[in-house]
Amino acid sequence: MGKTVNIDVKHMTRVEGHGNIVVNATDGKIERVEWQVPEAPRFFEAMVRGLDYTDIQIVVSRICGICSITHSLASTKAVEKALGIEVSDQADKIRILMHYSEQLQSHILHIGYLAVPDFFGVPSVVPLVAMAPDAVKTIIGLHRLSNEWSDLIAGRTTHPVTLVPGGLTKIPTEKEFRDLQQRLKDSVPALKTAAEVILSAAGNIPVFERDTEYVSLKQDNPATYTFYHGDITSTDYDGTVKINDWKSVANEYVNDQSTAKWTKWNRPSYAVGALARFNNNAELLSPLAKDVAKMFSLEKGCCNPYMNTVAQLVECVHVVEVSIGMIDELLTKGLKEEKAKSSPKAGKASGCVEAPRGILFHEYEFDSRGKCVAADICIPTNQNHASIQEDFEKLVPEIIDEGEDAIRQKMEMLVRSYDPCISCSTHMLDVKFVK
Amino acid sequence: MKKDLVVIGLGNPLMSDEGIGVRVVERLSQVGGEKWPDVEFVDAGTGGLSILYHIEGRRKAILIDCAFMGAEPGVIRRFNPDEVESTKALAHQSLHEMDVLKVLEMSSQLGQSPEEVVIFGIEPEVVESGLTLSETLNGQLEHYISVIIEELGV
Repeated sequence: MGKTVNIDVKHMTRVEGHGNIVVNATDGKIERVEWQVPEAPRFFEAMVRGLDYTDIQIVVSRICGICSITHSLASTKAVEKALGIEVSDQADKIRILMHYSEQLQSHILHIGYLAVPDFFGVPSVVPLVAMAPDAVKTIIGLHRLSNEWSDLIAGRTTHPVTLVPGGLTKIPTEKEFRDLQQRLKDSVPALKTAAEVILSAAGNIPVFERDTEYVSLKQDNPATYTFYHGDITSTDYDGTVKINDWKSVANEYVNDQSTAKWTKWNRPSYAVGALARFNNNAELLSPLAKDVAKMFSLEKGCCNPYMNTVAQLVECVHVVEVSIGMIDELLTKGLKEEKAKSSPKAGKASGCVEAPRGILFHEYEFDSRGKCVAADICIPTNQNHASIQEDFEKLVPEIIDEGEDAIRQKMEMLVRSYDPCISCSTHMLDVKFVK
Repeated sequence: MKKDLVVIGLGNPLMSDEGIGVRVVERLSQVGGEKWPDVEFVDAGTGGLSILYHIEGRRKAILIDCAFMGAEPGVIRRFNPDEVESTKALAHQSLHEMDVLKVLEMSSQLGQSPEEVVIFGIEPEVVESGLTLSETLNGQLEHYISVIIEELGV
């Protein structure tokens, strides 16, 4: 006699935004499995119309409180490309350092506060304090370091203020960079501790695989584990697609069960995020990051979505190690005072960076006065929604006999492993009424 | 080097009286600011776990927040964390959603708690969408300021 299962999770916990899980099965026959997104649209693409190109970054950074620097960087890159605004090598490097601070911040927040409680069988980080106070202290300390790193370069942890078309309004002093570098070096033991603690619970990471297309940036010149420069690739695609052609990759479409759009490229869905970057670029990780990946037996070709959290941990180590080196490069060359220069003109372009949770596209069009006439933003999380749905459709039949509680827990853990930023992902619907 | 004394305003100013903690700290830092160099004023908003960071390394922390205490709207009450029990049920839907008393307990368990923590709870009249305080609480703002100044001993 097959199982009857009815799961109706209204608003998952420990994810950003609102998502629902529905499963109905009768006598072992699965009738319905859905990842629903009921989040209200945000209307940013409409809000920026008419704004001056110098104001775009300020507004779109408000799309998110966790990945605001990422939105600012993607939009600023798009603005600069559209208007032919140049940026110095120095500013470019400092912006990448800014970007890395947010990768660490967001990943640590997700790993420590959102995902890892599941590995330890507790509902939140609060009970973890009693169970593993040193591990929690380490997580809090790393999160604080990343916030102060962002403060230093972006001017603020959330919603950066130093980013302007053409460069930065302020750069740290040599002493400030050296102090930061020392703090990053000092954080390496803490990262190792965090990795060891998570490894101790890694047996609770569900074993599940689905052959998936992974999309991310790829940078060949120089070959880099990239979050910032490069073109678009996937594990199914031999070669790269130019950023301005991102729509041929995303192919966004509206779906009944979600206020966020879905995407597809070479398969009915694709996944983005740390595991996607890892699967496309793992050989380019820093040495310590490779060691951490080895600790967890994480290898290129991994298609277990639950391992995205581990890939994030690997990336935390990578961005810290690489940043230590980048600061040396900057200071060896010597910091130069510079003033950002830009002027308005007509243009249209796309900017792309890897948000902590995946590849992000911002596209803008400006008139000759530099006023925005159109915008299109494609968020990593909306690129993941279809992949989550496909994961559900494969996972549920495999675990249908495990009982409702276990099924619900595994489905929630699966969604959390994508580190979704759901309210980022519901931007604007552009519909035509056909009557 | 962190200052010895921190005054933290908690709450959401978009929810009328729920933002009273933030409003009080805003007003205090206008009044005090440079006059009291050993005191730091922090608008911690709906910061949740960030409270851990703001109180760490201090001798004394004063927290000001809207509190349902079963009192008349506008009443301000002073208490220590161990004088009260939280009846707040968390849904764990957001990291901004935090039980202040639980966070203080966490701080203690982590060995990071200040020598002294004092909480000022203010009973709200209106907790719903709105950019201003209710007339009741707005009318008491100067009184709240003087209560905190007395606690500061400056």
